[in-house]
Amino acid sequence: MTALAVPGVATAPIVPPRPRRRAVRVASWAVAAVVLVAFWGLDLEWDKLVDLPSDLVHYGTLMFSDPDWSMLPEALLQTWRSVSMAWLGALLGVVLSTLLGIPAAEGVGPLWLRLPLRWVFAVIRAVPEVVIAIIILTVTGLTPFTGALALAIGGIGTHAKWTYETVEAAPTGAGEAVRASGGSLLETVRWGLWPVVSPELASLALYRFEINVRTSAILGLIGVGGIGDMLTSYTQYREWATVGVLIIVVIVVTMTIDAVSGAVRRRIMEGAKVRGVDRST
Amino acid sequence: MTTVAEAAERPAQAIPPRPRTWPRTARIVAVLAVLTAATATPALGGVEIDLGAIADNWTNGADRIGQMLVPDLSVLPRTWQPLLETLQMAVVGAAISAVLAVPLSLWAARPTNPNAPVRAAVRFVLNVIRAVPDLVYATVLVAMVGVGTLPGVITLVLFDIGIVVKLVSEAIDSADSSYMEAGRAAGGTQTQINRLTALPQTWPALASQVLYSLELNVRISAILGLVGAGGIGRLIDEMRGFYRYDALSTIILEILIVVILIELASNVLRKRLR
Repeated sequence: MTALAVPGVATAPIVPPRPRRRAVRVASWAVAAVVLVAFWGLDLEWDKLVDLPSDLVHYGTLMFSDPDWSMLPEALLQTWRSVSMAWLGALLGVVLSTLLGIPAAEGVGPLWLRLPLRWVFAVIRAVPEVVIAIIILTVTGLTPFTGALALAIGGIGTHAKWTYETVEAAPTGAGEAVRASGGSLLETVRWGLWPVVSPELASLALYRFEINVRTSAILGLIGVGGIGDMLTSYTQYREWATVGVLIIVVIVVTMTIDAVSGAVRRRIMEGAKVRGVDRST
Repeated sequence: MTTVAEAAERPAQAIPPRPRTWPRTARIVAVLAVLTAATATPALGGVEIDLGAIADNWTNGADRIGQMLVPDLSVLPRTWQPLLETLQMAVVGAAISAVLAVPLSLWAARPTNPNAPVRAAVRFVLNVIRAVPDLVYATVLVAMVGVGTLPGVITLVLFDIGIVVKLVSEAIDSADSSYMEAGRAAGGTQTQINRLTALPQTWPALASQVLYSLELNVRISAILGLVGAGGIGRLIDEMRGFYRYDALSTIILEILIVVILIELASNVLRKRLR
């Protein structure tokens, strides 16, 4: 600070008064009050929190000091099953969301079609995947297929929303040109809209797969198979050496899939660098 | 189509040849097809697609949906307490993660933490935290500390930190760095620069991400109860056990309303904060 020697400034500069932001202050007091009330009302077992660090060390040692690597093949098989559920669920979900989401976009579908579709998406968004799976398992039983279907149908809620938002945000020039030269609605969508939005949609589809990989673990809770199923079972048996292996497998597989899928998504959105073609416009 | 034909008959305008994209398209389609086939082959450990079951049993699913379409509102009084617990867990989880996210975001962003190895280490740990599904945390923590709200809140904190720190540190990375440069030029230490230039720029991003995580928390805690981590999920599990699908849909509607209310409130707050 002392290094700052400005020669011209002899008199003290007039500092403008700090703006008083009353609304922000009121809001922050309100937030603080809500947080305090929630803390106070929640029946947290604080005494358990004291034991938590030692518990973490204790169970951490049980899980990771000597993982039961003989379970690795089974763990990998179940992971592959989860990934399969995620992939098929993403594929089916994305196809359905695209078919339903494009007509739900403003400027594509008529209002009487748009509103009910959006309403359906909002309802699906509200239902947890587990509940969707509970309904579907009366049809297809406790099988991975149920998991894939639940992921597909549960995914429609958010994915169709992203789809119509993408379509609405797309530049309209190409579509207007097709319409001006006499194209029908279908032709406008195919030649004016699809080329503009397909990279973004493809990227979102891969992102859906990444999300599904995580969600498929949740579906294991109700017993549709996969790594989540195995993990809940072995946690209940308190076979910590196996749980350790499973957690390591989940982390490694999820991070690998994220990394690969992320690289492909960047390539889709930014285009190939080597060709020297600017596709960003 | 005729206009295209006419255009082609006009004197040659040196139209560049259409780029041949089909080999690439074919490769992409082939990769997708192979992946799909592999995931759909039971012999390889994939999913067995059983369309016959759908054809045979679709009425079961339709019956359940039919039951759910008529919500049983008599269950409402029983839901207030678990719903309140869910909301409290969501708020507490979001609040703790917000406090922890401030230093972590500053550590994980390039302009505020010039120490590359430390930055890489922090980012790696956060990636690991994000890679574990929320339910895995909940299951393992319930097994460790026992049934209750504590494992639920810890799960929410870990889940929120993963999201908030990633998005906020990316916001710092892409933020206008001229203020920080000015701070550095004036001889400020890294801590002073972070506190006086980076943090004020970060508050809006942090606030909006924390509000978003609050909304996610309400959604997740619907599931947390299934493993015994407290909240309204416990009731969902109970109703599922009794095949009370009409009550189940009441609870889902309730969650939907709460999520929408939080969304509205956070939109207002976000506008105010800006």
